[in-house]
Amino acid sequence: MSKKRERLEVIRDILKVIRQSRSIKPTRLLFASNLSPQMFKDYINELIAKGFIKLELGENDKKTFLLTKKGNDFLEQYRMIEDFVENFGL
Amino acid sequence: MDLYGFALENKEILKLVYALIIVLVCVVIVFKTNKLFRLSSHNGIRYFRNAFFFYGIGFVVRYVLGSKMIFPIFPFSVIGVLFEFFFVMAGFFLIYSLMWKKFESPETDYTSSLFNSKIFIFYVLVLLIVVLDSLWSTNTFMFFSQIIVFAFNSFISYSNHKKRKGKPFLRFYFLAMLLAFFAWVLNAVAEIYFNWNQAIIINIYILNLVFFLLFLFGVSKIIKPS
Repeated sequence: MSKKRERLEVIRDILKVIRQSRSIKPTRLLFASNLSPQMFKDYINELIAKGFIKLELGENDKKTFLLTKKGNDFLEQYRMIEDFVENFGL
Repeated sequence: MDLYGFALENKEILKLVYALIIVLVCVVIVFKTNKLFRLSSHNGIRYFRNAFFFYGIGFVVRYVLGSKMIFPIFPFSVIGVLFEFFFVMAGFFLIYSLMWKKFESPETDYTSSLFNSKIFIFYVLVLLIVVLDSLWSTNTFMFFSQIIVFAFNSFISYSNHKKRKGKPFLRFYFLAMLLAFFAWVLNAVAEIYFNWNQAIIINIYILNLVFFLLFLFGVSKIIKPS
């Protein structure tokens, strides 16, 4: 059985999916994130609140998620955060 | 004049320089880790940052406010209480940064890492230690609390080092914890058996300096400026 993902890994995975698709619909992101709907909602709310992603309304009021500059910065610096946490046993 | 004689003659200035170096190290660590915490909201980083924030304030209180050269009228009893509070609290934050996952879920999002139900227990313990030391006019309770904290820290960091062989700083972390453990043991020995022997005190200062420089080395090596 695979190990439960850490919180930071879940955030990285969600942001990576959004970056790869440039913009993604909520249902597709939910499937790709491999989370329960409630957990997904919590993470998405957190990511929006932190300014890592934004929700955009397209044609016909279709919702899509986009990565912000801050979200992109997080992905760039993820390796450093992970390295710090592991090297200091946090 | 030998080095030891020089150190004794310029004791007050050297103490101030020693404290300012450590405060500067703490400021750098707090700023760098705060940047990482703001990005990640990782509670372990948050508690680690708090530990060095408290160490920084503790050193300012003890060696800057407590310096007779700068503030000759500041009552030493007040300084003693304040610096004990900050030092002991810093030690508790450091051990909690290593153990927080056992007590909190990684999803826990406290509004404040200084005032929450878990940290409240530390405040109660710290107040108890400070009151006991004040009543007996001693530092023994603080020394023994920190000896226990750093014995645990050494054990945890050794086990982390053994578990994750590929992480180079874990070895230095363990070394830093051992140095701090010995520094607190020496503090207790100096107070109880040697009436604050100056040679022992100089060794404690050196151990403390190496402890903080090791952390600065680790933090600066990993957290690069963006």
